Amino acid sequence: MIAIVGVGETIPLRVSPKDVRALCLEASLAAIADAGLECVDIDGIITDAGIMPASVPADWMAAQLGASLNFSGNLSYGGAGIVAAPMLAEMAIRSGRAKAVLFYFGVDWGSRPGGPYAFHDAYPAKKLFEKPYGFSAQPAYFGLWARRYMHEYGLSEDDLAELAIAQRANALRHGGGQIKKPLDRETYFTSRRIADPLRVADCCLITDGAGAYVMTSAERARDLRKQPVFVHGVGFASVPVSGDDVFTQPAPLLLTPAAAVASRQARERAGVAIGDVDFTEIYDCFSISCLMQIEDLGFCAKGEGAAFIRERGITIDGDLPVNTHGGLLSYSYRLGIEHMVEAVRQLRGESGAAQVTNARIGLVGGFSPPDYGVAVLGR
Amino acid sequence: MADEFRPYFDALARGILAFPRCGDCGRFHWYPMKLCPFCHGAGIGWEAVSGVASLFSWTIVRHDFDPAAIERYGLRAPYIVALLEFADAPGVRLISNLVEADPDALAIGMAVQALFPAHDGRVLFRPARVG
Ligand SMILES: [Zn+2]
Repeated sequence: MIAIVGVGETIPLRVSPKDVRALCLEASLAAIADAGLECVDIDGIITDAGIMPASVPADWMAAQLGASLNFSGNLSYGGAGIVAAPMLAEMAIRSGRAKAVLFYFGVDWGSRPGGPYAFHDAYPAKKLFEKPYGFSAQPAYFGLWARRYMHEYGLSEDDLAELAIAQRANALRHGGGQIKKPLDRETYFTSRRIADPLRVADCCLITDGAGAYVMTSAERARDLRKQPVFVHGVGFASVPVSGDDVFTQPAPLLLTPAAAVASRQARERAGVAIGDVDFTEIYDCFSISCLMQIEDLGFCAKGEGAAFIRERGITIDGDLPVNTHGGLLSYSYRLGIEHMVEAVRQLRGESGAAQVTNARIGLVGGFSPPDYGVAVLGR
Repeated sequence: MADEFRPYFDALARGILAFPRCGDCGRFHWYPMKLCPFCHGAGIGWEAVSGVASLFSWTIVRHDFDPAAIERYGLRAPYIVALLEFADAPGVRLISNLVEADPDALAIGMAVQALFPAHDGRVLFRPARVG
C-alpha cells in the first residue's frame, strides 16, 4: 500500500499575478515540505496527460526541482487523472522503481484568453458540428443534461439550489476558498441564468491556481513528518465514447460515464462499503453533474440524488458531507486537485472549522468525460 | 476536414440532411467515424432523412461564450441550442439551433423540422407546423 504524505496548494484566485508554472512549482514545493522531504528525494513525477504536458511539463518540473527521475507518467486529462494518479504511483513504488512520487496540477484559466472554453477546440467533430451552433461551453453541455434530467426524474430548480447552497455553506465554514459571499435561496434565484436551467451559482468558479501531493510507501510514510493518509483503493475506468460524443450521443445520456465502475473498483480494492464512507469530494463542475455523481458513485439510486441531498444532508454536519471545502462550485476550479488536498487534510484532522467529526474514510471522484477516477483514502 | 465528415456538408449544400449508416449492420452512428463503431464495417453510406425531428433536450444559452460565433453566425445570446433525435435515423442526436420558437412553449418530445436552404454549413430547425 502507498500513502499520501504531503499536500500543497496555492491560494485560489480568479486572476493570479503568477503564471501557471510558478503556481505549480509553489504547490509542489509546499507538498514536498509538508511531507518533510527534500526536492532531491522526489524520484517519480505524475501529472495529467492532456493539460500539463503543454503548459507545465514534467521535465520542466524535474529540472526546476533538481529531481532525478526513475519514473514518469501521465494519466487522462484533468479530474480523472488527478484522482487516479495514485494507481500509477502504486505500481511504481511497489515494483521498486520509485520511492517518492510527486503529482502536481494547475491551471491559469482565470487569466488565459478563452479560459476553459478553448479546450474543446481539440475535438474535431465538436468543432464542426457543435461550435457553429454556439454549443461550445461547458455550461451549455450541462444545461442540456439538466433539462433532460428534469424531464426524466422530476428534478426541480429548488433541488439544484439546495446543492449549491449546501456547498457554499461548506466553503464559508472552511474559509480558504475563492468566494466569500453567502448563498441563500433568494440570491440563488436572483442570480443570472447562464444556460437554462443553470444559473451562475450552478456553475464552477474560474481559477488561477495549482495543487500537488506526494506519495510514498506506507512503511516509509510512518517515519515522515505528517500523519500518513493511506490510499486504500483506486479506480479508473472509461467508456468507448469519444470526447466528441460524450455530451450528446450516449444512449443513456444521464449516467456519468464510468463513475459506477471506477467507484466499485476502488471500493472493492479498499474493502470499503459505500456506507463506510465518512465524506466525499466530488467533481462538481456543475450542480447537476455533482448530483448525478452522487448517484452514479453508488451513494443512492439513479434519480434519487435530490431526495438524498435533502434527507441525508451534504453539509459538513450532514449525514454525507460532500465537498467539505465548497468544491469547484464554491472553493476553486482546479479540476479536482483541491479535492485530493482537502480529503487528505480531513483525514489528518487539519480542516479546522470545516472538520468532519471522526473522518476515517474519504472517497474522491474525478471526472474527465469519458474517463472517471476514484480514490478511497483513509487514516 | 477529415474525410468522414465531408459527405455531411456536401449533402447539406444540395439541400439534403443525411447521416452515416453502415452497409453491413445497417445501424446509424453519429458523429461520423472512419469505421462503423458497432461492427467495424468500412462500407458506410449516407442516408437522407425527412428533416422532421423530436426535441430530446434543449438549453437557452444566455452568455456570449464564443466571440467567433457572434462574428461569423450572428449567434448572440440568448439563443436556443437543441439536441434532436430522428425517427428515420435512430442512434443519431444532432445539435442545432431552434428558431421561430417561443422559449416558454418548448417541451421535450415536441416535433421540429429542418429549415432549408442551409447556409454556411448550418441547418437550423423550427417547431413543426401542425397538420
Ligand atoms: Zn456496422
